[in-house]
Amino acid sequence: MNRRAFLRAGTAVATAATVAGCLDGLLGEGESREPPLVEDRPDAVYVPTHVDGMEMAGMASAGPYKLALSYSFPHRFWRIDGSDAEKVSVEDDDTVHLMGTLWDVDTKIVPPAGNLSMTVRKDGEVVDDRRMWPMLSQTMGFHFGDNVSLDGDGTYEIEVSVDPLGARTTGAFQGRFEEAVSTTVEVEYSERVLNETQVQMLDDRQGERDAVPPMEMDMPVSQLPAKANLEGELVGEGTSGDGVFLATVPSSTPRGVDGDGQYLAVSARTPYNRYPLARMALSGTVRRNSETVFDGALAASLDPDLDYHYGAAIDGLQSGDEVTLSVGAPPQVFRHEGYETAFLEFEDVHFTVP
Amino acid sequence: MEPNAAGGMGRRDFVKAAVAAGGAAALSACLAREEDPDLPTGPEDLSTLPDAQHAWNGALPTDDHGNDVAPRHHLLLYFDYAGDGTPDDADRETVEAALQSLERAYARSQETDDGREVGLVFTVGYSPAYFDRFEASLSESVDLPEPAAMAPFEDPEFEKPDVAVHLASDYGSAVLGAEEALRGEKSELNGVEVTGLDGVLERVDRRTGFVGDGLPAEHDDVRGVPEGEVDEDSPLYMGFKSGFSKNQASERRVTIREGPFGGGTTQHVSMLRLHLDQWYEQDDRSHRVATMFCPVHAEEDLVEGVGENLGDSSLLEERGCPAHTEDHAREYGKVGHSQKSARAREDGDPIILRRDFDSTDDDLTTLHFVSLQRAIEDFRATREAMNGTDVSGGAVGQRTNNGILQYMTVKRRANFLLPPRRHRSLPPAVPE
Repeated sequence: MNRRAFLRAGTAVATAATVAGCLDGLLGEGESREPPLVEDRPDAVYVPTHVDGMEMAGMASAGPYKLALSYSFPHRFWRIDGSDAEKVSVEDDDTVHLMGTLWDVDTKIVPPAGNLSMTVRKDGEVVDDRRMWPMLSQTMGFHFGDNVSLDGDGTYEIEVSVDPLGARTTGAFQGRFEEAVSTTVEVEYSERVLNETQVQMLDDRQGERDAVPPMEMDMPVSQLPAKANLEGELVGEGTSGDGVFLATVPSSTPRGVDGDGQYLAVSARTPYNRYPLARMALSGTVRRNSETVFDGALAASLDPDLDYHYGAAIDGLQSGDEVTLSVGAPPQVFRHEGYETAFLEFEDVHFTVP
Repeated sequence: MEPNAAGGMGRRDFVKAAVAAGGAAALSACLAREEDPDLPTGPEDLSTLPDAQHAWNGALPTDDHGNDVAPRHHLLLYFDYAGDGTPDDADRETVEAALQSLERAYARSQETDDGREVGLVFTVGYSPAYFDRFEASLSESVDLPEPAAMAPFEDPEFEKPDVAVHLASDYGSAVLGAEEALRGEKSELNGVEVTGLDGVLERVDRRTGFVGDGLPAEHDDVRGVPEGEVDEDSPLYMGFKSGFSKNQASERRVTIREGPFGGGTTQHVSMLRLHLDQWYEQDDRSHRVATMFCPVHAEEDLVEGVGENLGDSSLLEERGCPAHTEDHAREYGKVGHSQKSARAREDGDPIILRRDFDSTDDDLTTLHFVSLQRAIEDFRATREAMNGTDVSGGAVGQRTNNGILQYMTVKRRANFLLPPRRHRSLPPAVPE
């Protein structure tokens, strides 16, 4: 269904809903022209009501990165405030949901860290200027985005600035991503093209505990390696907050890690799509013969082999050690529909090193 | 803004527009509109004025809690020395005469039925680039490096005008009048004969602005802040009061103690663009309080309105906020701007004195951050604490959830020495 058909259908549904006495209809109260949220959403990843199509707007190179700009219809998302997800509704003047995705040219890894800002100009005048939110969507994975208001059809110049990464880099990534880079992309925007992006309704599946797979795109998506392909020896795993935690010990401690000992790397990811659970406060304790031998933070890190992970060097990590992983503040990544109820409250994850 | 008979623009808007527009025409219009300020003139005997140019506090009104209240209208003028080589005595006399005529034209402050009001206060500062023209180096008692990036994630333009003049008043007409006088466009100001810089200094830039209850809300028709969102009582665009006396260094703390420029201070000036659409339209008040002050302040609902209830302190030490910055980063996933910055204190006391103001320059929501400190190093240390790089990387990002860094971009930085008044006119690197 394209957008026009979607809106027509929406109007029809809204009328029916209003007749039925439900005022949470599609077009009312400044709510976006989106279907009502799934009732009784599980505290877990779930299939959203619909998936908006996406239009690629341009690509560019900037330092060690490739950048893709894309847009879709503006949609509701949830900002993360501590352990709460707070809905951000579409504003009346929002034109598009504007997105930027960055990846490392060499490894195709999409770093879920750092900052990206956009200055949108038309005819030399600034139309919008903001730092994009770090976001997670089932179809797009990790990206930077926000709903923005454009100034009608035409040619826009979007200046994208990327700050130095701001997370620990290890291994061959040490020293990479340390420079601020920026580039300007010319984007043609028309409401007609936006209206022709496809909307996929998920009436039959919405609310199920599952996720829509990554969209097929001409760019990498932020998927972490499958369990079988993880670097190093798998020493523990667990599920918490609907997230999957996989702990490995690589054969050698990557460069850039402080301290001696074995490197404990925790790959925390979404179920189904293996997207990183980035930007959280993860800490761990290791007990050996009833004695605590490690108690501290696992640093958010980016490594070409381990991808995005949380890690710390643990002196003498050995078989029989009891490891506990604890999440403090949950992933501070804004959520698209289907992720807003997951990854907020976490039980500790326990495992014993085999 | 309320329409009125004079043409649909409120008086304050008009004055602010005039300050921004500048020029003699704007000034005369301004003087005609500004409810006949009838400002007293300055003293005949200028030796009664403090030797520290930055000693403004004695002239400022205080609020009910004893906080110094900044003048409402500001102008920051950048100049280059127009001559070749080094300034001579004639140049110095010209500049000093111009400055003294401003001091005679307006009293620093006056008592009125509405309390004390600032007539005119100003400082004159000199950059490292200015001192480069002298063979001798600045005394080691002066810490005045070239401007530098203050965070790994900023890329500002470094400004190197020779001279910075900061003019401030509760009256737009006074700062504009002073500017016109310096530029030699008037021979009389407030009924007093004045002289200009007479070509010795050439103006290369000007910044305008305001700070004070209600002014940001009245000037929200620029890009970078949504209209109608700034609290009508707020003195600054971000919606909260600042300048609590316990968060400000004393003038004594920022004064250079010894050497030829003893009694002076250093001034850092940066220009920040603010991006407040997300701040007001997406974030909620609890998040704003947490990231401006401290997560505890949000949790315990310590801040009412713009923070008037806080009195003379933002309750940071009292709530253990600075010491728990790292814990809060892990527990709440966010840290407050004031919480982080307060870590740069010395024996519990702040080491920089803020004299910043908001602006609509270039039709963008702007903050001109002016701070005074004994050494630029004090500013660097405070800014480093504010960066929060030590607590970022996980839940607290380099900018996200990291105080107010998400909502600002530093575009320009500059450093100046504010000599004591006796050396304020084109001083050599080593004054006698």
